[in-house]
Amino acid sequence: MPELRGSHGDSPTNVLTRWFGTPDLHTLDVYESKAGGYAALRKALLDMAPADITNEVKTSGLRGRGGAGFATGTKWSFINRDSPGPKYVVINADESEPGTSKDRYILENSPHMLVEGILIAAYAVGANQAWVYIRGEYDEPYRMLSAAIEEARAKGYVGPKPMGKDYPLDIRLYRGHGAYICGEETALLESLEGKRAQPRSRPPFPAVKGAWGRPTLLNNVETLVTVPWIINHGGAAYAKFGTDKSPGTRLMSVSGNVNKPGVYEVELGQTFRHVIMDLAGGIAGGHDLKVFWPGGSSAPVLPASMLDTKTDMESLAAARSMGGSGGVIVMDDQHCIVRAAYRLLKFYARESCGKCTPCRIGGDWAVRTYARILANEGSQVEIDTLLRLRGLGDRLDLPALPRGVRGPRPETRMQRRQGGYKCLTSTSPSTDTSSPCLPAL
Amino acid sequence: MTALSVHILDEIRELPGKYPQPRSAVMPALDLAQEELGHLTPEAMTEVAAALELDPGYVEGVATFYSLFHLEPIGKHHFYVCTNLSCALRGANEIIDHVKQEIGVKEPDEVSVDGMFSYEEVECLGACEFAPMMRFEHRYHYDLTPAKIDQLIAASKGEKLLPTRGEVARSAGGAAEKPKPKPRTARKKKADA
Repeated sequence: MPELRGSHGDSPTNVLTRWFGTPDLHTLDVYESKAGGYAALRKALLDMAPADITNEVKTSGLRGRGGAGFATGTKWSFINRDSPGPKYVVINADESEPGTSKDRYILENSPHMLVEGILIAAYAVGANQAWVYIRGEYDEPYRMLSAAIEEARAKGYVGPKPMGKDYPLDIRLYRGHGAYICGEETALLESLEGKRAQPRSRPPFPAVKGAWGRPTLLNNVETLVTVPWIINHGGAAYAKFGTDKSPGTRLMSVSGNVNKPGVYEVELGQTFRHVIMDLAGGIAGGHDLKVFWPGGSSAPVLPASMLDTKTDMESLAAARSMGGSGGVIVMDDQHCIVRAAYRLLKFYARESCGKCTPCRIGGDWAVRTYARILANEGSQVEIDTLLRLRGLGDRLDLPALPRGVRGPRPETRMQRRQGGYKCLTSTSPSTDTSSPCLPAL
Repeated sequence: MTALSVHILDEIRELPGKYPQPRSAVMPALDLAQEELGHLTPEAMTEVAAALELDPGYVEGVATFYSLFHLEPIGKHHFYVCTNLSCALRGANEIIDHVKQEIGVKEPDEVSVDGMFSYEEVECLGACEFAPMMRFEHRYHYDLTPAKIDQLIAASKGEKLLPTRGEVARSAGGAAEKPKPKPRTARKKKADA
């Protein structure tokens, strides 16, 4: 069993992670006998009409945990269950937002939870076949999920008559091959169809024309593993957790300069102070917090002064950032924000799918501009270039990357003047902490 | 004489039937090709295209888009070291320096003289609570230190039964036996992680 770094065991807010850490939870036997697994599937198939299932998810107020935070029940209801021909459920297990490891945490601990969630969702939207698009680097999660599906098949839960119900259900796996853009749902569909993963224009939305041109429900791993709990306990019980507009709990992967990095289940509406200082054990080495990225590297970075910002999506939007994928990257005052921004921009430039000019050209441009600043060749010209690139990203309607091209806000970029930094990306890092690694511009 | 063996091409021809539309088979097919050859040669991509009845340019277009397809040779043992922010904040750059030094290469995707090792700096691998980390031999390795890198390199060399120069000299003298393979080190690593 993999080592657990994060929430597990009995706690009032451990909705998803209650049984994590139970020996052999990844086997069907233990998932069923100890964790009450597949009871929700039985209830959904035998006692509930598909529309009731969707309504229960609507009542829960569950919002997608992949990044966009769209209302899950509403998304399910977009699929016309009675339309003729095949429909698909596609599961986004292509976790690749920097700082995010929650889906891997789920897959390695409780793969049957995902299998159960998928089967319920497929029945609710009228699909008979589900495809899990799992990132290619996830070798162990792939093996564990494959094994779980085969166990469920042997038991008949995946097959022509699950739980005795005359409703064939099948789950297939498709491995990604290394492309950040595949986390975006229409790019993922292109990839699943054997193409270069460039996002599609919408409409048509996937609910109408998705995988292989058919109506398709796309959900993130964490979103679907929440569904069995909602079916077992009711949507209203789930909605009691969290805030009015962001109900429930979510898994937050806390990484970087903290004492206890880990994947923690957090009731939405808790503060980042709770997440970083309590759950993750505070800043390592006795240093101070400088900044944190609250929802993966695409979420605009927040300074230490905003540590009491709450984790629900509305509070984060008010703070001009976003909840994103729940990846919390914590950086202490020993590191340079300019170098951190440079590293993240290199990521966005490298991972640009190339479809839209501001991202394809702008990403590379931003990296070169930052490189000039880091080489002490910066001036107001470089700052102006970066501000213009931010504006370009803001005006673009297509998906994910341009956010990252923006780089940090001007006010955080100025913080490097406070001094005492260690270089982050240099191959021979300067450990001189007595003076700033760069002169002030 | 084809670049890919006959049974691999047969397997590739079976793939399209597994998907709602045949085109989805292109990446699984390239996987099989890469598994056999170590990397995707132009000839291999052309043969994949022919087996799937696709345009060779199309297949190459797919292969060049995804980072897990290698179009140039890489070492038998390839380090995928994460250097994104969460890992960089916990020493990934020092790990990269150590890997480069130990396998004797200067830059990513350069193959060591014996053909055994290469490395690349990859983006976030989704195991940030174990930073710094990497993927090696289809497995994640966590909480990396230079010592752990050394162990993995030694274990990889042991598995391949490649004698060191000293061992060659000794066995030439007829004294010592070849060392036994040491796959246990690698497995123990997994338990540690």
